Amino acid sequence: MKPAPLQIIRIGLAITFLWASILIFHDPKSWGGLIQPWAFDLLPLSLETVMIQTAILDLLIGFFLLIDVGTIIFAWLALVHLILIIIVVGITPETVRDIGLIAAALALVWAWWPKRFKKQ
Amino acid sequence: MVNLTPYALLFTVAAIGVSETSYLIRARRAASGFACPIGQDCAVVLTSKYNHFLPFVHNDILGLIFYLVFTALAALFVLGIGQPTELMLLAEVILAGATLMSAIFTYLQWRVIKAWCFWCLMSAGTVVLLDLIMLKINFTI
Repeated sequence: MKPAPLQIIRIGLAITFLWASILIFHDPKSWGGLIQPWAFDLLPLSLETVMIQTAILDLLIGFFLLIDVGTIIFAWLALVHLILIIIVVGITPETVRDIGLIAAALALVWAWWPKRFKKQ
Repeated sequence: MVNLTPYALLFTVAAIGVSETSYLIRARRAASGFACPIGQDCAVVLTSKYNHFLPFVHNDILGLIFYLVFTALAALFVLGIGQPTELMLLAEVILAGATLMSAIFTYLQWRVIKAWCFWCLMSAGTVVLLDLIMLKINFTI
């Protein structure tokens, strides 16, 4: 079992993703409104569809991080997803929160990285 | 507009329960031993004859089902899916059952097994927190 501080980070990040997914399901259009116009133009599907898909991804990331199954995969997904959010939403006063979440996701990727790929 | 704060708290606390019980199930199935962050009696309690309330169903599985259902109910409240009064009634009934079970398990640790298990007490504390939040919601409505 990984040390308790890492477990706390894992559970905290999982709950953040799970709750974010519920909020996006609740009001996908408002959350979609945060996307920058240039990124909006690149969307292959309608905004609502893309936001629902984002909510499903958040739900999966949150659930699997919560039950500690495939943590390395879902921590990676969380990290990439959070970086993409910063890119498509842009730098706003709320970005400071995302930086904290990115740091948490990075800590999980680091901690759950398979030992065989780590330098001895 | 509905105040989401108590539902966010219900969701968060129940999700912590999901995480805890899923750890206990994995540790039991892997037979890897239970980490006991405080004290040393977790294995004594978790491997005792009281570790399954129903025949062939371990308490950790019942706990996981309870927490998953409760997390889903909190999400349904927020999403506005289903009748709020029926959802609330269902949440109260299953929470009453979980509270009773927690009280029984705490009594068993105290008087029968005479050993305390960190995870069992944490689960009991989680259920008490859910009770308090539900009381707050009921008094606010």
